[in-house]
Amino acid sequence: MKDYTKGKRPEMLEPFFPNELFRHIIVSCFLVIIELAAVGLFPLPFKVINKPDYIPWFLLPIYKLDKLIQNEVVFIPILVLCALLFISWPFLICGRKYNVSSFSSGECANRRCAGYTKDRRNLWQRPIPFMIVIITIVSVIALCLISP
Amino acid sequence: MCRGGVTPPLRFAGQRHKCRATCSGLFDLAQKLYKAYVGFVETMNSKKSEVILDETENKDFLRELIETNITRRLIPKGLSWFGCMGGLSLLAFMIQLGTGVFLMFYFIPSAGEAIASIQRVSHSVPYGWLIHRIHAVGPHVMIGMVFSHMLRILFKGIYRHPRELHWVSGACLLILTLLMYYTGSLLSVRNGGGMYSVMHMTYVYALHIAGIPLAMALFMGMHFFMVRKTGIYEPL
Repeated sequence: MKDYTKGKRPEMLEPFFPNELFRHIIVSCFLVIIELAAVGLFPLPFKVINKPDYIPWFLLPIYKLDKLIQNEVVFIPILVLCALLFISWPFLICGRKYNVSSFSSGECANRRCAGYTKDRRNLWQRPIPFMIVIITIVSVIALCLISP
Repeated sequence: MCRGGVTPPLRFAGQRHKCRATCSGLFDLAQKLYKAYVGFVETMNSKKSEVILDETENKDFLRELIETNITRRLIPKGLSWFGCMGGLSLLAFMIQLGTGVFLMFYFIPSAGEAIASIQRVSHSVPYGWLIHRIHAVGPHVMIGMVFSHMLRILFKGIYRHPRELHWVSGACLLILTLLMYYTGSLLSVRNGGGMYSVMHMTYVYALHIAGIPLAMALFMGMHFFMVRKTGIYEPL
């Protein structure tokens, strides 16, 4: 188990019980209330819904993409490729940046040490991955809005 | 009978010797039995003490487990409320599991009777309508929670080394959740013009209640193991 106490002063830590557990209980109650409210807001219809006509919000981009391409031979590989890219995102994006300062300041004598290090910046601090994510999100939203 | 007992009136040498031998044999036997009994009692007592010791050890183990993981566990201060989204996704999954098991008792995976069985649950079984509605609404809440959890992970960059496998297992769980919804929606579809055969329904039903949940359980196990091993988002 990961030990969070290493290298930390006591004031930087808080007990899991009851602080974090209480937080989890509150949000769990919130979730149950949301579900029960949704049950109340969307009551059971007496007539049977024709399900293929009803597309939920989270499958809408896939449905629209299918309608746009209209060819299952192309559509399924595209879907699989998108899923693979989505799953392997951390491996595609694990960028390295060239650490010039340590080489010029003489901290590292050899070029290997001074060269590339793992990029630990947040997503919005890295322009190319951030742009890819934003373009993807905008494309998904646009795909939901268009009517092919 | 010989020792301290009534002595026979007529004693012959042979008989007396025989009686003494028999009595001593009986006495030895009694002694052996007594020793065996004492040994048995001692063994039982030692076993009982071992059991008590085991119980104490078990209690200590449980106490230690609870103390290490819950009561004495320390975490970094100021964790965000949005950090609970993963836990909420699990809770939503558990709700779906519970309501799904309830519905499983009434659902008939047949192309002709599927809709009728769902209607029966909703209108005839006590509180069936509530369970059915929760099972129908639950995926929307669950997928919303999973999406928000993944967006937070993505924008905060928590997927970076050494937590790549958190992302991989989480992404697989999201895809499996979408597949779960898709198979579930196929089960309650109106069989217009006999478009779904019995085999098709059984196949989709088996995937919905066993195949995909098992895969999800595997990925969840991997996800939780990785989260416990490498922590939430503290740098290693």
